[in-house]
Amino acid sequence: MSALGGPKQAGGIQPPTTMGLVLGIVLIIIALILAFFLVQMAGLIALIGIIIGGVLIGFGVHFVPVGGAPAAMGQAPGIATGVAMLAAGAGLAGLFGGAWAAPLGFAVALAGGAIGGGLLMAITCTMVNVIYVFGMGIPAASGKVDKDPITGDSFPEYKSQGTEGHGLPFISWVGGVIGGALGGLGGTLIYLELLDVYQAQLPVILNATVEQIAPIAISLAGIFAVAMFLINAVLAAYNITGTIEGPHDPKFKRFPRAIIAAAVASAVAGIFAIGLLELVGVF
Amino acid sequence: MEEIIFGIGITALAGALATVAGAAEDVESDIGSQGDPNSQVQLAPQMGYIHRIFNKAIAGEPPAYGLWVALGAGLAWAFMAMQINPILAIVLGSALAVFVQGVYATTAYLGRTASLAKFGQPVYIDILKSMTTVTMAHAFVAIFATVAMCHLIISALGHPFPLPLLGLVWGIALGAAGSATGNPFYGKERQYQEQKFGAGVPISASGNIVRYAEAGQRNSLDNGFFSAKLGGPASGICFGLIVFFELWRTVVFEEFNIWGPIIVGVFVILVFAIIDRYIEVWARKNFGPYTAPEEASS
Repeated sequence: MSALGGPKQAGGIQPPTTMGLVLGIVLIIIALILAFFLVQMAGLIALIGIIIGGVLIGFGVHFVPVGGAPAAMGQAPGIATGVAMLAAGAGLAGLFGGAWAAPLGFAVALAGGAIGGGLLMAITCTMVNVIYVFGMGIPAASGKVDKDPITGDSFPEYKSQGTEGHGLPFISWVGGVIGGALGGLGGTLIYLELLDVYQAQLPVILNATVEQIAPIAISLAGIFAVAMFLINAVLAAYNITGTIEGPHDPKFKRFPRAIIAAAVASAVAGIFAIGLLELVGVF
Repeated sequence: MEEIIFGIGITALAGALATVAGAAEDVESDIGSQGDPNSQVQLAPQMGYIHRIFNKAIAGEPPAYGLWVALGAGLAWAFMAMQINPILAIVLGSALAVFVQGVYATTAYLGRTASLAKFGQPVYIDILKSMTTVTMAHAFVAIFATVAMCHLIISALGHPFPLPLLGLVWGIALGAAGSATGNPFYGKERQYQEQKFGAGVPISASGNIVRYAEAGQRNSLDNGFFSAKLGGPASGICFGLIVFFELWRTVVFEEFNIWGPIIVGVFVILVFAIIDRYIEVWARKNFGPYTAPEEASS
């Protein structure tokens, strides 16, 4: 029985149905074929990059320790905000860094995006513990495991009566940083792939130089990257259903389903992003 | 070298603006009761506790601030395209965005509170009159500081994103940092001020929020006063540190090596890991294991 009154959440692996799996693979293949016909090999490569980026975001969200409303009252461990929103905050901060480093090369931009996302989560998670410890006098205690898998700290004796735990144990801190880094990496990868596609297409459509179309290409790639980040973060949040403590939470094992959903959603949304200018060119 | 010194100055200014924005954001969201603790404000009348707390949580803080800051940045960008002075353009853009926030706050309060009519919760018109403007004032500070910071990042540091897109990115990050850091302080320490210090709120106490102040009934302005003591400044430091380190590592170390900002970023993350672990161990050592209050154990 959960201390929060509801029925115990099913935390085990919930594999996707065969029907869903087949439908997902069919949709991804259709999207890849369309990308090839619309923008040839460059489109295919870009869509594969977008799918990988989406999967990284969907997987990364599962690492982020989010306690939602119960965490705000010290009734559950984690950060007191929504799953998708916190992941979006970290991932978009990563995208900020990645886009800035884009002229320096693919690898530097990707690493810059990952570190940007990880840095936001590192600072946020530390400040959460500062508030819990110095503002509320509450030490960290996980509700899902008895011992921290990294530090070996025991939790049951530190847990307040009538709660599911509180604060942010070190394993959740590490999970948050990994989640932020994966989100930043995925978001930056989507941005870079779309930027390549737009920088190749726009000069032809608008009959202009690459320098002249740069602001439009950057804006379009940026806004699509933000949109696809939110799509994948929200999908992963539905998979998590409510709160998660991090990689040690039994709910973490649900990630394979989110990966498939993120891959399909990224493929379908990505084909619209890639084919956008082809459609504009038709009209 | 001069370029680096100029960049450091801009970085410090952007970090300072972000600190002000973070503090104003958290206090605004606590006066408006928009964060996760608002679940208790919504729950209280259903448990029989009628209160005079504002109630506007129809969206999380990150998407709400993403909207308002992007709106302020977009309008400022349009004004700047009309050759209006950037400072005036940012003020005008932020002021117009704040009117949208005011409409949002008003309709959200009326809608959410009216939905509690069957539990006997009245809609207090004096609350609407006195508190909406206070949340708008705080929102203006948060939006103005964030848009000004975004403008600095673009015009002085050369980030490629256009102002409205950068406003959306940093608006969402502002809401994420502010709600993550400030919410527990408002939720546990303020709404459940009667509960024992140093322990989480037991689920059995849910909805029994503190409704009376030193004189008369407590309202959300009292909560803003309380949040401004720790939750607000801590949120400000959180967002300020994020912006500062994000810019500083790029501005200073990119000149030496293109991998410099990444190596420094990893180093900063490790430093925060050590600080976090130190705080965690300090709390375990100094506070000790949980002991039930005497009333509960007797």
